[in-house]
Amino acid sequence: MPGGLLQADSVTKRFDQVEALSNLSVELAPGTIGLVGPNGSGKTTLLRLLLGLLPPTSGRLSVLGHDPQSEPLLVREKVGYMPEHDCLMPDLSAVGFVAHMGQVSGLPREVAMSRAHDVLEFVGLKEERYRKIREYSVGMRQRVKLAQAIVHDPPLCFLDEPTSGLDPQGREEMLRLLGVLSRIGGHSFVLSTHLLPDTEGLVDQVLLLNAGRLLAAGSVRDLLSGGEVHTIVRIKGDTRAFAAALSAKGVAVEVEGSDLKVTLPGGNTRTIFEVAQATQTQVRYLGPSVRTIEDLFLSMIDGAARRNGP
Amino acid sequence: MSISAPRYVSGPVVHVGRTTRALAIFRRELLRRATWGPLLAVALTWLVVVAAATFSVAFSSLTGFSAMSGFESPYESVAWILLILIVAATVGAGSLADDIGSRAITLYLSRPINLSDYLVAKAGATGTWLLIAAVGPGCVAVALTTALGYVSASTALAAVGAYFAVGIVTAVFFTGVTLVFSSVTRRSLYAGVATFGAVLSIGVSASVVSGITGNTQILYANPVTLTQTMAEAAFGVSSSSPLNPTTCAVVMVLVGVVLATLAWWRLARIEVVGE
Repeated sequence: MPGGLLQADSVTKRFDQVEALSNLSVELAPGTIGLVGPNGSGKTTLLRLLLGLLPPTSGRLSVLGHDPQSEPLLVREKVGYMPEHDCLMPDLSAVGFVAHMGQVSGLPREVAMSRAHDVLEFVGLKEERYRKIREYSVGMRQRVKLAQAIVHDPPLCFLDEPTSGLDPQGREEMLRLLGVLSRIGGHSFVLSTHLLPDTEGLVDQVLLLNAGRLLAAGSVRDLLSGGEVHTIVRIKGDTRAFAAALSAKGVAVEVEGSDLKVTLPGGNTRTIFEVAQATQTQVRYLGPSVRTIEDLFLSMIDGAARRNGP
Repeated sequence: MSISAPRYVSGPVVHVGRTTRALAIFRRELLRRATWGPLLAVALTWLVVVAAATFSVAFSSLTGFSAMSGFESPYESVAWILLILIVAATVGAGSLADDIGSRAITLYLSRPINLSDYLVAKAGATGTWLLIAAVGPGCVAVALTTALGYVSASTALAAVGAYFAVGIVTAVFFTGVTLVFSSVTRRSLYAGVATFGAVLSIGVSASVVSGITGNTQILYANPVTLTQTMAEAAFGVSSSSPLNPTTCAVVMVLVGVVLATLAWWRLARIEVVGE
């Protein structure tokens, strides 16, 4: 298998009768990747396979050009992992814990200690780094988890639900931190989450999973620009009458509050102005509908449900 | 809390090998257990063994008995094995259970080490604590009695060798016992109680059954008899034990290794990355 960031070739993982991942084939380039799907969609199973902690039932995987099954230590040397659940040693100080994890990752003792100080400063725990972890808040613990994942400066990080359990302010701060991390050159990360808004503006590639199946994978820009193009229309006048007139012309219209979401055949806006003139309505705003990863995910699930039938 | 730009410079770092990584776990575990419970248990063991051995050797020199029988005297009492059992229960019980409970084991096993590296490092730390408790006081007693002129240098050397022989076998046995109990629970207290309870109940049961049936072979299941038989042979003291000392040592080492392997098997089945 050639050396990209992540590759899966017809990977299936079965636990007894349950198929956690089904025939997954995907190739992702270096960058920031959103691993998105509802709970139970196979995200964590995929992370376990990528870390070499589980063997696939069939198929092959490659992480940074290494097979996690035959070269698990090489993979884990180059990968940082931030688990979703609590996993810290409460009786240690943050700096002691992060330095220890750096050493277990292969850093010499002095380098590990130096890096521990630096990454704890990076995650905003400079002042609190000598306190015992048991005294930390949930938000601070999440930061320590992030610090231990990046202490050995891995080229790739797996971040499993990094905003889990955080209050809105803590979530914002964590996302801001991940934004800074994503801009550091030469580093890639996989952000596994079921909170689709967390990935907005943060990831440049996305891997959408549902019930162990791949819904879509690739560049966010390409995926969001595909499919039907919607136009948002805001008018001054009777919105419902305007919508009815557009429908009469064969245009698909959805009323969303005071806005109209219009699907124009070929993207031609001429029909809107013709209807506005006919109904003596003033068009106040006309612009493309901004599609989000959440919209994409919902439309993909909808499409998959339609294909599978009732 | 503020977020500042990263200061650290990403540069080529020569990564240390697996042995050094495992040694980091060993050191961490060794220091982690230096809490009041284990320190008190070890201190008590030292106090009892040093006092018993020193007084016995001093008494032997006055009464004309062999000094080696004086060095062996701490093993003649059940107190020695009880103290070692307390050390094992307080030190080893948490070695795996604490990591399973806090789920720090997830972080260890997602790093570039094998499960065997992790387990050997943990076992090594528990074994070192047990060696400190089982061998250390004997060596102090030897040094003390030699300094006081009760024993010759050659006797002192032989006694140190015997303390090491018995101590190493005992450490292997109790490390295996504590590891297996520590691997099946998230609470170190449960593992400690199970270690203590299992060793004592098996030992007492073996003695009772052996007494009732008259089958002395059952005593191979009694850690107290095994240790005493081994110690008597190591120190060259005449023994009334019906057991073979070499077989006793083999049984203890084998049980320790098999139980440690069971702990490995159990850990290999732990869900490392949970939902």
